[in-house]
Amino acid sequence: MRRLQGRLGLALLYLGAAGLAAQAVLPLLWMLSTSLKPPREVLATPPTLIPAVPTLENYARLLGQTAFLRYFVNSVSVAGLTVLLTMAVGAVGAYSLTRFRFPGRESIARLILCTYMFAPIMIVVPIYILARRLGIVDTHTALVLSYSSFCLPFSLWLLRAFFQSIPIELEEAAQVDGAGRPRALAYIVAPLALPGLIATSIFTFTLAWNDYIFTRILIVSDELKTLPVGVQDLFSAAVVDWGLVMAAGMLITIPALAFFMAVQRHLIAGWGTGGLKG
Amino acid sequence: MASFPGAAAPGASRALARPRRRRPALLGLAGILPALVLIVGLILYPVAYAIWLSFFDKHSFFPQERWIGLGNYVRLAGDPEFWDSLWKGTVYAAGTTALQLGFGVAAALLLHRTFRGRTVVRALVLFPYMIPTIVAVIVWRWLLNETFGLVDHLLVAWRLVRQPIAWLSVDHIMTSLIVMSVWQFAPFVTLSVLARLQTIPLELYEAARVDGASAWARFRHITLPQIRAVMFVIILLRGIWMFTKFDTVWLWGEGAGAGAEIRTLPIYAYMRTFTYYQAGFGAALSVIMFLLLMVATGLYFRLFWRDEEGM
Repeated sequence: MRRLQGRLGLALLYLGAAGLAAQAVLPLLWMLSTSLKPPREVLATPPTLIPAVPTLENYARLLGQTAFLRYFVNSVSVAGLTVLLTMAVGAVGAYSLTRFRFPGRESIARLILCTYMFAPIMIVVPIYILARRLGIVDTHTALVLSYSSFCLPFSLWLLRAFFQSIPIELEEAAQVDGAGRPRALAYIVAPLALPGLIATSIFTFTLAWNDYIFTRILIVSDELKTLPVGVQDLFSAAVVDWGLVMAAGMLITIPALAFFMAVQRHLIAGWGTGGLKG
Repeated sequence: MASFPGAAAPGASRALARPRRRRPALLGLAGILPALVLIVGLILYPVAYAIWLSFFDKHSFFPQERWIGLGNYVRLAGDPEFWDSLWKGTVYAAGTTALQLGFGVAAALLLHRTFRGRTVVRALVLFPYMIPTIVAVIVWRWLLNETFGLVDHLLVAWRLVRQPIAWLSVDHIMTSLIVMSVWQFAPFVTLSVLARLQTIPLELYEAARVDGASAWARFRHITLPQIRAVMFVIILLRGIWMFTKFDTVWLWGEGAGAGAEIRTLPIYAYMRTFTYYQAGFGAALSVIMFLLLMVATGLYFRLFWRDEEGM
């Protein structure tokens, strides 16, 4: 009886795991399948699960006849610059918060947590007005600045937790042994904080890569649009070309997932140690 | 050097990290300054400006503005569309948060068990959360398409329904939006709870098993108290994020047609600003949204916060 119960439990466990994986992945596989079908097969009833004759026609049309490639390049450069700026400003800031004592240090830490509560929808209008005053509406500068400042509170919080977990003695020991602060930073702190830096950069990259609202409001010119807005415009056409839209979906998803898979282990570590305990 | 590296007892790491010597304060301030400038300039100032703007009758793009004091708030209180959007926003936030929590925690408990292929499943489960919102939206709109969608086709083929369901029609658009949102955001709950589960000392379970505690008792008296603190934070964050969620909801319905059925508070604020060009009124809506969140957060802390959770 006991053994039977164990077997049943195990079967249920695998069934549950398979179900979990399926609900996460099947919708994306359906996107892949549709993107590989010729237009007529896309609208076939009953739908074919696997394309009869897989074709890259949708991808060719997407790259040849739409501005997709332009949007793609824009997204890569905006997300890349956002990660660079946030990491530079965030790492230095978080390090300062944990390693130096200065007036107002604790209230700065609290202020950061507070800003964490503001949603983009609250500040897009003022940011638009501000950007217009600075003369940077319809530039990528406006996007990079908005994303960076939006990511900073969380990044500072996350990185602060990581720096706090690195014993200051290690650094002091290095300095006693004759290494200056820069060398102690490079050889002691940076390697230990690496998982935190990676987790933060994924978070920042994802936010910039996925964002819709800031681009929708700050960018007017078609040639400056990033992927989410560009693809929405494809999708809002009177007659939706599903094969084309699914191909676009695939090409936006692949970089995000590739980036995520490459650094996934660090992400989960970051989530546990810094993300929510901080 | 008065440090004893071997003596790093639990809880000591925080004390160790605290600088015990006076360090150059100027260097520290200089380090945090760029971050502060960005946060103050592009978050705090805009928020303050939004509050200021809410006292004006102002066009979204033209410079003219007129001080009307609390005029926007008075108008808002008598605006049925506001109350309607508040109700829909609350239904959406509460519904999605509760379902995310249920699915997310169940998935985390399952993924905490040992089985072959666990690493792969753990990674796959996070996919919906990692893909851009626009992709999640187009995939689900295609899956739920009334004429050519896979979901309706399967439902009819398996004889679960007689007629295809018009998922994006007035009657079902809120349901389909909630389903799609839960699919997209539950992995956040799974990941957070899973990370916490992994830090529970196994000795606790072994001791309980020796004492003859049942699986349910182990869950109830060991797992649940241990993940309580993380659940407290997750509910708070997810609740705030779902209440202020813009892109998923907007892309799902685009405000017009059946989209009016999912016109939550953020959508309504956006439409007032960018469809009707009433920046002042839009700002007042955002401010109210924020005030409501503050009150709700305060209440939440008062009701559920326990000091011993020590976060």
